[in-house]
Amino acid sequence: MRKYAVIYRSVCMENLQYAANIVMGFASYFVFIFIFIMLWNYIYQMPGEVIAGYTKEQMIWYVMMTEMIWFASNSASVAGSVTTDIRGGNIAYLMNKPYHYTLYILTKYTGEWSIRLPMYALLAAAAGIGMVGAVPGFPISRLPLMILCVILGITVNAVFLICIGLLSFWIEDATPFRWLYDKLILVVGTIFPIEIFPEALQPFFKLTPIYTVCYGPAKLIVDFSDSKCVEILLAQVLYLAAGCGLMFYTYRKGVRKLYVNGG
Amino acid sequence: MQAIKAENLSKSFRVKRKEKGMRGSIRAILHPQTEEIKAVDGVSFTVEEGEILAFIGPNGAGKSTTIKMLTGILYPDGGKVEVLGIDPVKKRKQLAYHIGTVFGQKEQLWTHLTPYDNFQFFSAIYDIPDREARKRILELADCFELGAFINTPVRNLSLGQRIRCEIVASLIHKPRVLFLDEPTIGLDPVVKETIRSLIRQMNEEMHTTIFLTSHDVGDIEKLCKRVVIVNAGKIVLDEPMEHLRNADLAGIPLENIIMEIYKSEEGRAGL
Amino acid sequence: MSMEADRTRADLMFAAVKNQLRVSLLSVKYNMMREMVNKVTFVTNIIFMMLNNATILVQWIILFHLREEVGGYTLKEIMLLWGMTAASYGLSHILFARVFFLPELVISGKLDAYLVQPKSVLLGIMTSATDISAIGDFLYGLLVIGIFGHQGRGLYLFPLFLITGTVIFTAFALLMGSLSFWFVRMDMLGRQMMLGMVSFATYPDGIFKGVSRFLLYFIIPVGMAVYHPVHLMIRFDKGMLFTVLGYALLLGTVSVAVFYRGLRRYASSSLMEARM
Repeated sequence: MRKYAVIYRSVCMENLQYAANIVMGFASYFVFIFIFIMLWNYIYQMPGEVIAGYTKEQMIWYVMMTEMIWFASNSASVAGSVTTDIRGGNIAYLMNKPYHYTLYILTKYTGEWSIRLPMYALLAAAAGIGMVGAVPGFPISRLPLMILCVILGITVNAVFLICIGLLSFWIEDATPFRWLYDKLILVVGTIFPIEIFPEALQPFFKLTPIYTVCYGPAKLIVDFSDSKCVEILLAQVLYLAAGCGLMFYTYRKGVRKLYVNGG
Repeated sequence: MQAIKAENLSKSFRVKRKEKGMRGSIRAILHPQTEEIKAVDGVSFTVEEGEILAFIGPNGAGKSTTIKMLTGILYPDGGKVEVLGIDPVKKRKQLAYHIGTVFGQKEQLWTHLTPYDNFQFFSAIYDIPDREARKRILELADCFELGAFINTPVRNLSLGQRIRCEIVASLIHKPRVLFLDEPTIGLDPVVKETIRSLIRQMNEEMHTTIFLTSHDVGDIEKLCKRVVIVNAGKIVLDEPMEHLRNADLAGIPLENIIMEIYKSEEGRAGL
Repeated sequence: MSMEADRTRADLMFAAVKNQLRVSLLSVKYNMMREMVNKVTFVTNIIFMMLNNATILVQWIILFHLREEVGGYTLKEIMLLWGMTAASYGLSHILFARVFFLPELVISGKLDAYLVQPKSVLLGIMTSATDISAIGDFLYGLLVIGIFGHQGRGLYLFPLFLITGTVIFTAFALLMGSLSFWFVRMDMLGRQMMLGMVSFATYPDGIFKGVSRFLLYFIIPVGMAVYHPVHLMIRFDKGMLFTVLGYALLLGTVSVAVFYRGLRRYASSSLMEARM
């Protein structure tokens, strides 16, 4: 375990150097948030109107939180580094190191987002309170649970992204698959809460990773309830276990293919 | 006529510094520190047309920076440059028609295309009409013995074959001066020898002036009539090859002489 | 000055332009050949990018389910926005993909190879790579315009706006990228601005008001690249047309001038450590 801690620490240090870049990334976040505030301002016409069970303030906070997770997790970097390692042949060296390659990537990636997430969280909280006011009835005492939920969400996402990156063992470039996965998460879980979709589709969405990656954590932040919290945390743990299983399995298959074909 | 004239040439760079550890990382964000390095410091020399000159020195001595100033990529901070009577700073494009460059460590070729396609591309760059280009390519392919692989994508070629193609690509437009920056880096001895004899042949037949940087003593010994050694941005030795060969005869191998000069701050130690 | 001398000068200029064009077209052709080496990747990239763009339809179907119009747009106009944006963004990335990576090239000193060639440095850099997925964007744009463009003078005006849009996207990237000649950290900001531009371009301008509207028309030039063209395709207006043309020309000129200014600094500067 200690070796992963050392990897984590050095990635954190490396990323601190890019702190200025992260601040620049805020600009994009603001653009998104701004567009959505404008959009929802236009769509909610009457004060106090409720759409799909969300007030305007809740709806805007929802997007702010999902976008915060989205930007802090920066999915391109995790799937991208797996793809580059495999395609560039770097994998041959990393494979034989005394750590598990997928866990190495996961740790490295954790180091990356753990610098970004607090910065985005501060920014999002400040922007949210400044622009739409605090979330009505926000239970401060439950904050640690919410944070746990966000962290689990990002990790589940990372595990799935690594799986997608591992597809590069078989196909030349896994990037197109990442686009589709990203878009799915974005369209279904990030810009709208699941409740806005036709009821017939909702149970289906609950079975996809979308439910645990963005929707779950954001829903808890805008509209907390203990039962919901237990449900989401449970789903996340299950997804994490299943995702890791898939990740180890894919990796093992991929490595075997590499040995057979010699890359 | 003088092909290259450099007078009191200088160039400095600013380099960032970072202290170690987490604290150093944070400090580097808050107070970025830089220091100035004189990459080239008052360098003067001339190269006659048709000459083969070795421009050598340890890593970071200012060799590449000098080549970049001679080819118009970098502007000097001070001093004057003239290549074929043209000022590279003012007339970079005009000069480009008359010089060729090969950077051993940087590829100029499109790796997924065949050498032939590449040469056609370079012909277009130098405004050579198609028919003439075809003739020229065949001529060079013959001379450099590229026939066997002229239709194989560059990425499938060996390093030696590649570098031969790089050199041909830089000769398409019959340059009068050729800059070779470590052309034999990473090649095996046999291929090195081929490249050297081709360079020599080119110099003899076309009277091309050659400005060569290398770490390989063999390149210098076998090709050059004159050696300029730079260290820490300054010229520490500028002698005809013969003088060095004479020292060699006195029992000190050329390699040792060069090593001595590299190590000594003032240069000229061994002679 | 005699007429003869004038004529030879004009001839020389014409020959120079022709030669430059020959090199640039060859560049674009070679880029395509490079990407087509792996046919499966080539095709999947294009198809997946088209699908990727199409998923956004879901968002708009949901939104139009809530309101009949959003910012004065119905689904048909939203599709025009998408078509216009995807096509010009795509074309710009097919022909001039490297301009979007200008900061990396500047910082790592990779402009050198272009500086020893007797051709336009700018065109040499811009055309030195392509982006396959952009072909998907471009085709998606054409498809969408083909289906939804039959209103007003849409189909006649589209080719013109495809050109102005491509010029504006490229020039804006060039302008942002050129700033990295002066400021090392510009790469991120430039990228952000480009992303911002694309994000804004796919939402109806009717939802933006006041200062943000001004910004969208003048600072991030989405208005001139996409909104005005879409308005013009629906309802023609001569004044607006000339504004778009004038703006494209102006932005193009300014960005090229800034680039060459920066290039001079590149050659004379002392700040790039990686360039030794």
